Amino acid sequence: MILLQSHSRFLLQTLLNRVQSLDRAVELDYHWVEFDDIRYHVQVSMKNPHILLLSVSLPTPPPETIFFGGLPFGAIEAIKAAYGVIVQILDPPRDGFNLTLKLNLSKLPSDEDYKHSLLVKVASIREVVLGAPLRVILKHLASRTVAPDFDRLVALVHRPEESFFLVPKADKVTVVFPMRFKDSIDTMLATSFLQEFVEARRTAGLNNAPPCLWSPSPPMELKGAPENALSANAGFVTFVIFPRHVEAKKLDRTVWNLSTFHAYVNYHIKCSEGFMHTRMRRRVESLIQALDRAKPDSEKSKKTANVRSFKRLSLKDNSR
Amino acid sequence: MDPTSRPAVVIDNGTGYTKMGFAGNVEPCFILPTVVAVNESFLNQSRTSSKANWLTQYSAGVMADLDFFIGDEAISRSRSSNTYNLSYPIKHGQVDNWDAMERYWQQCIFNYLRCDPEDHYFLLTESPLTAPESREYTGEIMFETFNVPGLYIAVNSVLALAAGYTTSKCEMTGVVVDVGDGATHVVPVADGYVIGSSIKSIPIAGKDVTLFIQQLMRERGENIPPEDSFDVARRVKEMYCYTCSDIVKEYNKHDKEPSKYIKQWRGIKPKTGAPYSCDIGYERFLGPEVFFNPEIYSSDFTTPLPAVIDKCIQSAPIDTRRALYKNIVLSGGSTMFKDFHRRLQRDLKKIVDARSVTSDALLGGEVKAQPVEVNVLSHPIQRFAVWFGGSVLASTPEFFAACHTKEEYEEYGASICRTNPVFKGMY
Ligand SMILES: Nc1ncnc2c1ncn2[C@@H]1O[C@H](COP(=O)(O)OP(=O)(O)OP(=O)(O)O)[C@@H](O)[C@H]1O
Ligand SMILES: [Mg+2]
Repeated sequence: MILLQSHSRFLLQTLLNRVQSLDRAVELDYHWVEFDDIRYHVQVSMKNPHILLLSVSLPTPPPETIFFGGLPFGAIEAIKAAYGVIVQILDPPRDGFNLTLKLNLSKLPSDEDYKHSLLVKVASIREVVLGAPLRVILKHLASRTVAPDFDRLVALVHRPEESFFLVPKADKVTVVFPMRFKDSIDTMLATSFLQEFVEARRTAGLNNAPPCLWSPSPPMELKGAPENALSANAGFVTFVIFPRHVEAKKLDRTVWNLSTFHAYVNYHIKCSEGFMHTRMRRRVESLIQALDRAKPDSEKSKKTANVRSFKRLSLKDNSR
Repeated sequence: MDPTSRPAVVIDNGTGYTKMGFAGNVEPCFILPTVVAVNESFLNQSRTSSKANWLTQYSAGVMADLDFFIGDEAISRSRSSNTYNLSYPIKHGQVDNWDAMERYWQQCIFNYLRCDPEDHYFLLTESPLTAPESREYTGEIMFETFNVPGLYIAVNSVLALAAGYTTSKCEMTGVVVDVGDGATHVVPVADGYVIGSSIKSIPIAGKDVTLFIQQLMRERGENIPPEDSFDVARRVKEMYCYTCSDIVKEYNKHDKEPSKYIKQWRGIKPKTGAPYSCDIGYERFLGPEVFFNPEIYSSDFTTPLPAVIDKCIQSAPIDTRRALYKNIVLSGGSTMFKDFHRRLQRDLKKIVDARSVTSDALLGGEVKAQPVEVNVLSHPIQRFAVWFGGSVLASTPEFFAACHTKEEYEEYGASICRTNPVFKGMY
């Protein structure tokens, strides 16, 4: 897996299972959490087996990001446009959630392919809701205009208490990600990963990809951003998005990839660490083999395999 | 925000299936075969020392590093192409291949559960016979690669006992009979502490039942494509097998009314796509019989499961024995055969009663021993009882305090994972 998928696997599985046996009454009550602190809650009751209540809570927005009624700009319109008659937005949402949708599964279309794609869309609820403002801006870019109210620096939340920034212009949108990591090793790896990332963009074959820059200090574009947004221990990544990147079908992908860029980098850092561990284990194994070969024969016959698991514990050692 | 305010991630890695999900739910989110399909074609390229070649090899390695699949996807990939090799990270309940295990966890976390491991405490399980090194290694991977804020490695049988926690009253004394895919353990637990010296294991588990059924069907000359036969045997086992009360009677029943007892299996040949069908006969009850009369399957191990349980309880401290007989809990997929618990309870009761008759005879009838109560419990969630126990445990407020934290790990190193508190009580 190289890119994160936009739908929640578990949500899709739950929906598909439910749709398959719609007549059987079951009681479902599932809670789960996805990266960037998106929480989900799914509920189905015995009484109404074809009604599914889906609640979503979004990451806490930092002060510079504006939510309207607990949701990002344009989210309500995006939900209505994406799902049509099968959902109803409950107001107010369930306690502790930003949004509760009432899905009427008996209203799903009968065409199998269409039904499936609609369910995948429901499972991609986070893309629809959290990506809504980004989509509005990029749609304007596609028609080479600037959305009203969005002509200055715009902050959009992507992680709890963290946002990324956009500078929308009629012919391009500049996107800046302050990259922060908790762990010091992660920070180091991220710094070199991002520099490699920028380097890789320069290779032939990626000429059409959005230009990309990395800098350890806040770039020019962030002038006017709040103080706390200007500190990032793994530097700042800037993408420049042109109208050709958001044409027709590319829009969805671009929205998703931008709004989960941090999660993407985080995933690949964990993968690299795993990869390094694999290499380290191989190396240790080969060194042990070399040591074993060097042993004189008399020592080889001694069984030493069990010695390792023996650790003397003293009776006084009650600390753990 | 504090990770303790989010539900912990509970992953039960078994030899056959991994159950994973979030604490507080009643079911795991996913139950996947524990298998990884890796693309190792880049490893076989000839090694040359030139710089350019090294670079291509290196980047091929980096790409292949992400080119792998787990679970059902892995199985279907390896069927459809030759570039992927299946690797089973866990053998007989113990992690065998740490590279594969690390990759498996990586996909569980990022592709299936899709959570950020830095945001959640983790509860993993291990078999009661896992070596301290293995626990250290698990800790190392979890803290170093995934940066989890806290980790608890639980013993799966204790969790299976905790699964009864909500279904009945809180009872942390009992014997757990965990029959999974690769290992069968009989584990006595007293007040939540494992009686380590009395653990018994049996080299017969779900996989052996499958192998036995495969062998029976092959010997009878059923028309099953060889590359599919293990899978068919497994599915036959899960769908049609049951425990009988007496083999001879069962043979008679089958012979008298074949139409009622003999089932049909229909499948499609994977290579040609042609449909085929075959009969399912005696293996329906002979499969599970392996646990009660192991000699029909293997000549190396011939002690029946009820006798092993009895031995296990007899070797436990004398003051716990009555309580242990009273609460025998089943867990693991291979205890799901119909009437498995009835048969186990009957056979065990026979052994116990025979013993009390002899001891009464020895005492010459002066004092009568109080009869021993034998109870084998079965509950509907047996298949993932371990996971469910983990989910219950990880949603208690005490859980977070019992975890090893990342700070502790950085202070003391992987040795913090060496000891498991549930074994401590005995010493
Ligand atoms: N309904 C069923 N009837 C009989 N056997 C079943 C059923 N469902 C699953 N199994 C068998 O149970 C086994 C899997 O059980 P389980 O998931 O408990 O094992 P595990 O946890 O992966 O292994 P272990 O605990 O030994 O490491 C498989 O062999 C599977 O074929
Ligand atoms: Mg198990």
